[in-house]
Order: sequence, then structure tokens, then C-alpha cells
Amino acid sequence: MITVQNISKSFGEVQAVKDVSLVAEDGQITALLGANGAGKTTSMRMIYALITPETGVVTVDGINSTENPIAARGRMGVLPDARGIYKRLTARENMAYFGRLQGMSEADIKTRSEELIARLGMEKFADRQTDGFSQGQRVKVAIARAIIHDPQNILLDEPTNGLDVMSTRAIRAFLRDEKARGKCILFSSHVMQEVSAVCDVITVVDAGIIRATGTEQELLAMTDENNLEDAFVNLVTQGEVK
Amino acid sequence: MISNVFKVVFLKEVTENLRDKRTIMSSLVMSAVFGPLFMLGLIHMMTNISKGKAEEQLELPVINMEGAQNLEKHLLSQGVKILTLGEKSPEQSILDKDHDVILEIDESYADSFTQGQPAKVKLYFDGSAKGSTNISVRKARSIINGYSSSIGAIRLQLRGVSPSIMKAVSIENHDQASVQSKGAQFMNFLPYFLIIILFSGSMYLAIDTTAGEKERKSLEPLFLNPVSRKEILAGKLAATITFGVITLILSIIVFKLTIPFYPMKAMGISLELGFSKLITMVLVLMPLAVVAGAIQTIIASFSKSFKEAQTYVGLLILIPMVPSMVLMFLSIKEKLWMMAIPILNQNLIINQIIRGEEPGLAAILVTVFGTLFFGLILASIAVRLYNKESMLFAD
Repeated sequence: MITVQNISKSFGEVQAVKDVSLVAEDGQITALLGANGAGKTTSMRMIYALITPETGVVTVDGINSTENPIAARGRMGVLPDARGIYKRLTARENMAYFGRLQGMSEADIKTRSEELIARLGMEKFADRQTDGFSQGQRVKVAIARAIIHDPQNILLDEPTNGLDVMSTRAIRAFLRDEKARGKCILFSSHVMQEVSAVCDVITVVDAGIIRATGTEQELLAMTDENNLEDAFVNLVTQGEVK
Repeated sequence: MISNVFKVVFLKEVTENLRDKRTIMSSLVMSAVFGPLFMLGLIHMMTNISKGKAEEQLELPVINMEGAQNLEKHLLSQGVKILTLGEKSPEQSILDKDHDVILEIDESYADSFTQGQPAKVKLYFDGSAKGSTNISVRKARSIINGYSSSIGAIRLQLRGVSPSIMKAVSIENHDQASVQSKGAQFMNFLPYFLIIILFSGSMYLAIDTTAGEKERKSLEPLFLNPVSRKEILAGKLAATITFGVITLILSIIVFKLTIPFYPMKAMGISLELGFSKLITMVLVLMPLAVVAGAIQTIIASFSKSFKEAQTYVGLLILIPMVPSMVLMFLSIKEKLWMMAIPILNQNLIINQIIRGEEPGLAAILVTVFGTLFFGLILASIAVRLYNKESMLFAD
């Protein structure tokens, strides 16, 4: 479970994120929905303890991530916006490298790799060097690598960005699976259908500020619209644009 | 205790880079193998040029040779090939590099000669020309000087004076340069060469593990693992330094293997590099790998892309040139404090070894620990750089 209370961050003059708060429960998929440049990536980076918030607190399973970033990171598996994988290592070696950095034993790495390769459908390319992989194959490797240690909390920054239908569906199915296993999943996206298709709770962020939080139904009721896209536009423009 | 993270990162960087043909080409093959071969080729070229000209017959175009028939006989007896100059003026011929040197017998020559006055000849040459030209000029001048003094001696004898009266002081040369230290002049740039090889050996990894990883967007995911950035960077730096050291050792082995092919006779030297001397060379250069790896990592870390880093780190190679160049032209008396200055100390010690001297134990220890100390300071800066948030992102 991840709780975020009033985190803010500015870069020079620009206030990228202001007083963002949210709660991502276990057994739920929580979305951070916003347009490009709304502050999603910066918020995510603070939540996964890569950068330190100027104000506010993030706790991961009760661990304060500012005070103890290393322990907090151990509780998370993160697919960041930057998802570069090592192209001179095979998919399996990419996973093993992160497994070792997570402090897993070689035996655990092997078992867990097999499991993830099967669940994400990576059998065909698991032992190939990742140079020349398709976008979809690369994202699968990046996800498998991020959650090699079977973390309780899974954070993904625009996970299906640039993927084709088949890869997108495979990843959605995988996330639903993880949710069923009681994991806390937080992901950011700007794609309405995506959020609508998989998320339980949606937090709408714009210009670094939270505009609304609730289930899809609640957001529709709040704005008196009948689809998420209209509801989103209504929320970010304060009802000025129809 | 060596931490697990350090080991994991180190092994990953080494494995990954050993699979990369570019790393292997740029550090190992290009630097370690071609470096010493290139140096061998250079030395061969230099000795061939100077040796060739010295042994070659001197070709001397002479203007108005008929004005000095005695001199002509002398020139021929010295094995000079006398040529006649075509339409061109002697000035133009020298400018056009048709000839190295041209002799002109002055109109007044014959008259002055018979009167016992200094007879005038003119020597045309280009004083700013390089190497082999100077050898021809020197040769022509010494043959004419030889003629001049032999005629002078005969004239004195005819007047009943001993020619030795002309020699008030006689110099007897006692050159203290050993055979080996003469060759050292040729080998003066060996330290610079080895230092460049060392720097280029670690350059690729320093960039690849920092700016390269940032550019490929794998640095952020890497830092999301529950380990300190310092440990990750320490592993990367160790891999960088290892490649520098491997390149160094390899290049010294290749250098040792090429020694029999050096033109020792033509250079007038004997280059003795026994096993213990090679070990000393490796020993004093190894701490420099820490300095090189750390400083390259620092520079590459501040770069946003691989190319940018390549430019800056490439320029860095010019810095070790400074002490090497200074030492090539200046004769410096080694003092112990100099051995604490990285690069200068390696230059001094390797120069000593090439000259056939035994560098003192104190000098070696000060070199090793002085350089290592400096290297560790740089390394501790390098591993802490990424604690700053602004260093994390390429955009």
C-alpha cells in the first residue's frame, strides 16, 4: 500500500507538482491520469523515491521513503518512464542483474525468471541479447526485470505507451493477475481507454495539482458526463470546455 | 569486505563490455596492440631517414666548377657527385626543394686563391628545413672546411711554420652518455605513449557506464534497486579501471615482444628491458589507471550524451602530453617531491628505466602511493556524483 501526502516539487521557477496526495490500496489498480506535462512522471519519481519531494511524505507499506529510500525501494517494483534495457545482455540476464541487486539468491532468481517468462509470454526471446527487440518485447523485459523480486507494490509509468494491441492486452492481463494476487498497483497514463479498462480508482492530475479522485463511475457522476474522456476534459478545464 | 552490489555491478559491466566489439576494438586492439606497433614503425622511419642520408653519396650541384679545379678534385675524392645546375637560379632550386644544398664558386675565387687570400664560395640551403636536409648541408660544409684547412696547412708548411701552431686549444671528447642513454632520446616518448594507451583503455567504459547508460535510459531503472548509488558507481568505476589496467599490461607485453625488432644498431643503442624493469613500469603506471578511470568517469557523468562525453574525455588525453613534452625538451634533475605528482612521476621513472638507470625504491613508492592517493580522491568524488538529482536525467 502506498500513501502520498501533499508532495510538491519545483525545478527552478517551474512548480512541477503541488500538494499531490493519493492512496493506492492493496488489491487495487490505481491510476494517475493526466495529459502530457501534467506532472505525472515527476510525481511518480517522488513516489518511487528517485527524487526527494520538497514537501510532504510518501510511505510504502508504512516505510517513509524520504527517510529510508533504500528500504522503500525494496518494497516496490518500478517500470519508470526511462525503460532502457541492456542490449548486450539477454532478456534473462537483464532480469538476473536486477534480481542480484535486489539481493535475491541465484535459485530464487531462476525460479522467478521462469515464472515471469511464462506469464508474460517471453519464451521465444528470453535467451537472446535484447539488441533489436521490438518495443513490446522490450517493455516485457523491463517489466519482468522490475518485478523480479515479487514486490508488494508495482508502479508503472505509462506502461503501454507505444505498444500494439497484443502487447497491450498481455500487459493488462498481467496487471489484473497481479491485482488478484493482492498487489498494490499504481500506474500513470494519459490514455483514457486504458485507464477505463483496468483501473479501480482514478486520480486526475493537471498542472501538478490533483483535480479529482474516485472510481470511473464517481468521476462521471461528479462531472455529469457519460464517458471518461469528457469527464477528464471537464475536470482539467473546470467545465469551461465542452 | 567487498559488498555484493559492487561485485554484481562490476561483473555485469565487464561481461557486457567484453561482448561489445567496439570496446574490444577501441581499448584492446587499437590501443594495446596497434599502439606499440605504431611506435615501432615510427622509430624505424626516423632511423631510416637519418641513416639513409648519412650513408648516401652527397649530390652537390656546383655553379662555376671550372673556376676551382683543385676543389673539384677534392670533392670527387670525397665521393661527392658533382652536378650542374640547369636554368633555375640557385635560390629558386632550394625553394623548390630540387636540391638540399648548392655550391657556387665565386668569380673572384681563382684570383683570391692564387694570391693566398680567402677565396669565396657560396653555399645555398634552407636553414629551416628538417632532418635529412641538414645532414647534406653539414656534409657539404665539412668537406669544404676540410679542404680549406688542408690547403691552409700546406701554405703554412711552405712558409716553414708548423700547422699545429693554428691549434691553440685541442678538444678531446669524453661523451659520458652510455650507449643506452643515447637511444633514450629516441625512446623519450615511450612514457607518453604508454600513458595515452592507458587513458584510451578505460575511456570507452567510463563513458559507456555513465553518459552511455544515461543516454540509453537504463540509469533510472538501475537506481531504483534498493542499493546505494555510491556502491553502483564504485562497481562501474572498478570495471573501468580494470579495462585500463588490462590494456596497459597488454600493451607492455606487446612492446616487450617488439623490442627485438627495434633498429638498435642504427640507433646506436641497446635497449635492455628485463622482466623486473617491465614489472616496475606496470607497477608505477597501474595507480594512474585509477586517476584516469575516475577523472574520465567524472567528466562523462556531466555529459548528457555519449558523443558529448567522447569529445570531452577525448580532449583529456592532451593533459598527460604536457609533462611528457616538457621532459622531451628539458633535462630535469629528478627530485623526490616530483615523484608525488601523477604523470610527471611516471614520465621520470620510465625515462630512468629506458636510460638504463635503476629508479630508487623511495621514488617508486612515492610514485605509486602519491598517484594512488590522488586517484582515490578523484574516485570518491566520482562515486558521489550521482547523489545529486540533476545528474540523473539526460533531459
